[in-house]
Amino acid sequence: MSSSGTQLRSHAKLRENVQSWLIMLPGLILMLFFVWGPLFESVRMSLYKTRNVELVRFIGLDNFISVTGKDDFLQALVNTFSYTFWSLLIGFALPIVLAILIGETTRGKSFFRTAVYLPNMLPGLAVIILWSAFFSGEKSGVLNILLARLGIPPQTYLTRADWVIPIIIIIATWKGAGATALIYMAGMASISPELYEAAAIDGASVWRRIIHILLPAIRKLAGTLLILQIISVFQIMYEPMVLTMGGPDNASLSLMQLMWQYAFGGSMNYGKASAVAVIVTLILLAMTAVYSYFNRKESDWD
Amino acid sequence: MGKLFRMVSLLLALCVLAGIPCGFAAAEEVIDADLTCTITLGNWPPDTAPEAEKALFERYRATMAKQYPNVTLVPDYYSYSLSNYVPMAKGGTAPSIFQPPFTDPQLLISQHLVGDVTDALEKFGVLDQFSPSYVEMLADENGRIYGLPRDGYVLGMHINLALFREAGLVDEEGLPLYPRTLQELAEYGQIIREKTGKAGLVFPASATYGGWLFTNIAWNFGCVGESALEYQDEDGRWVCNFTSPECIAAMEYMRDLQWKYNILNADATTTDWASAHSLLGTGEAAMNFAADDSVDQPTANKGLPVEDFALIPFPAGPAGRYALAGGTCYMFAPDITGDQAIALMAYLKILGKLPFLDDDIIEGMRADYAAKRDRGAPVIPAISAWNNDAYNSAKQAIVDEYCNVDMRLYADFFDSISEGTISLKAEEPVFAQQLYRELTAVVQRVITREGADIPKALKKAEESFQEYLDDEINDY
Repeated sequence: MSSSGTQLRSHAKLRENVQSWLIMLPGLILMLFFVWGPLFESVRMSLYKTRNVELVRFIGLDNFISVTGKDDFLQALVNTFSYTFWSLLIGFALPIVLAILIGETTRGKSFFRTAVYLPNMLPGLAVIILWSAFFSGEKSGVLNILLARLGIPPQTYLTRADWVIPIIIIIATWKGAGATALIYMAGMASISPELYEAAAIDGASVWRRIIHILLPAIRKLAGTLLILQIISVFQIMYEPMVLTMGGPDNASLSLMQLMWQYAFGGSMNYGKASAVAVIVTLILLAMTAVYSYFNRKESDWD
Repeated sequence: MGKLFRMVSLLLALCVLAGIPCGFAAAEEVIDADLTCTITLGNWPPDTAPEAEKALFERYRATMAKQYPNVTLVPDYYSYSLSNYVPMAKGGTAPSIFQPPFTDPQLLISQHLVGDVTDALEKFGVLDQFSPSYVEMLADENGRIYGLPRDGYVLGMHINLALFREAGLVDEEGLPLYPRTLQELAEYGQIIREKTGKAGLVFPASATYGGWLFTNIAWNFGCVGESALEYQDEDGRWVCNFTSPECIAAMEYMRDLQWKYNILNADATTTDWASAHSLLGTGEAAMNFAADDSVDQPTANKGLPVEDFALIPFPAGPAGRYALAGGTCYMFAPDITGDQAIALMAYLKILGKLPFLDDDIIEGMRADYAAKRDRGAPVIPAISAWNNDAYNSAKQAIVDEYCNVDMRLYADFFDSISEGTISLKAEEPVFAQQLYRELTAVVQRVITREGADIPKALKKAEESFQEYLDDEINDY
């Protein structure tokens, strides 16, 4: 009896597994075809001398050595970390602040929620073109027109090597902060109202409620969004490409843009482009691993 | 191939050899009913294109249907870029005909990514009428032809005449006192800046544009012959040379335009080709290095009246007077068949891109010029890529009918070409886009940092590009 019971249970489990696999199968096939396949192909291509998309001969790590030995790679690497730094400085806290402000709003909450999300609904290129008119260094630039009203002579912005990355990050943050704020708002909604009520009864100020209830509650969510933001900013490409083409003098060149240049910027060197892509992937994997390590350690501690 | 087609080809060839514009192929006549194939046509005008342009292409399609009833035309809105073309060519989905700039044909030919149309051209009797410089750009080392010129251009300067008038730089007849040398360009630009507050020169230095324009300046400083930016050594290896005294002097000139004369537009490093035209057209800049094929950009597209626009020759430098000659060409998918190649040549003939004139082509040209005139674009003669005097004269007569500008504002530009007072020069022979990218970075450095070390920056660019040449050609 006992043996047939076990058999039945394992049959049921097998059936359940088969069903689960069948449900996942279309998704897996799509992933295999559109994600893992190209990913594997990219790694393979990075180890070959290529002629457009054809593999000519195996050259080991030569593409990596050649790519990393050039000044523009080092510049792009430093720039990409700089993008990440500025993005965290300008763009990490802002969505949290927005979410708190909207959360604390009692009237017109839906309006503000929609308003902060609105830039995210605009096409990316339209946003870049819009802001390029704002930051234009010509007299007809919007910011320069505003400065002229204050009696300040026209300035240049995107042609300054030390300004260009923060400006690009301001633009990216303007577009993306609203969407992140919505995720934080969803996270904050899950906080039990009783905690707030208890704090209010104890006479806690808004500031203390934020510090002692809200921020601890969204800490894990913030951690996840932090790593997602780093991954996203590390792959920044179209903003500098449209706004500055990586200039002036490669001051805004990102790693992904360098990859694009190798592949499509006139040289069609897909092997080297793949090498850059693999390097970016490895850096991101390393950063994610570090984050996961600390996250797990913290969870164990909890 | 049908007998009829062979007869028509023979007749065409005879006409061409005799230098007579051909007027026998009326649209209604069937030229080859046996030719059966399908061709996809890139750069078909999209729904958002002006009605006149769409109607024109529909007429081409109707004519093709009459002359070659069994050739199926499939319109395709495809617009070429190197990045989107390569996967399409490899995947067999490239349109039968597309339009790359003249910087790319040699790269595409060397990578076997385009189709051979030599035999089809021979059948149409036009193979020997190519301007040799175009053959050089569109053929492989065996002389096989892979492309046809769509239009040629010569780099000169666009002028906003209104700003020249405001700065007092016009003669008693209202014609511009324009710069004939690069030194005068700097000085005139300075006068314009002082008198009008606007940029003397808009210099698009983003992406590859800065390097592209810089090469022409460098040629005029003497970067030709032994000091050329690119050359092949005795072993056949490609070598670049950005550190010659001539190249350094040219880059110092760029520095002076920004830091000594202060004539460049403020956002040069983010200015591209389109925004350069925009700045000139809207009166934010007085001069722009641009060619005869883009005179509609600042005028019709950006609102500058044709009366306020002039086209002048590229200013001479201390060591020469060169002007870049280039353009856009037609190239073909790598897998086209012989029949498709013939059908494509027939289509280009209907478009007026082969050196034949018939009633339909003349009507098409008239419609084109009328549309340009209606849009407010200058109607001026195009620089022909065909060595066929009869064909070229007949075209000029049609241009004269529709001309809407004071040709004195263009005379020196065209005269400098026809009289040979300016030397036309094709783009640097190999991997021009990559070369432009390297030089653009140096131009950007020089115009954004006053104390930039020019020889050092050029040396760095030279090393980088030489490594590229070694990788892509020398050690391939």
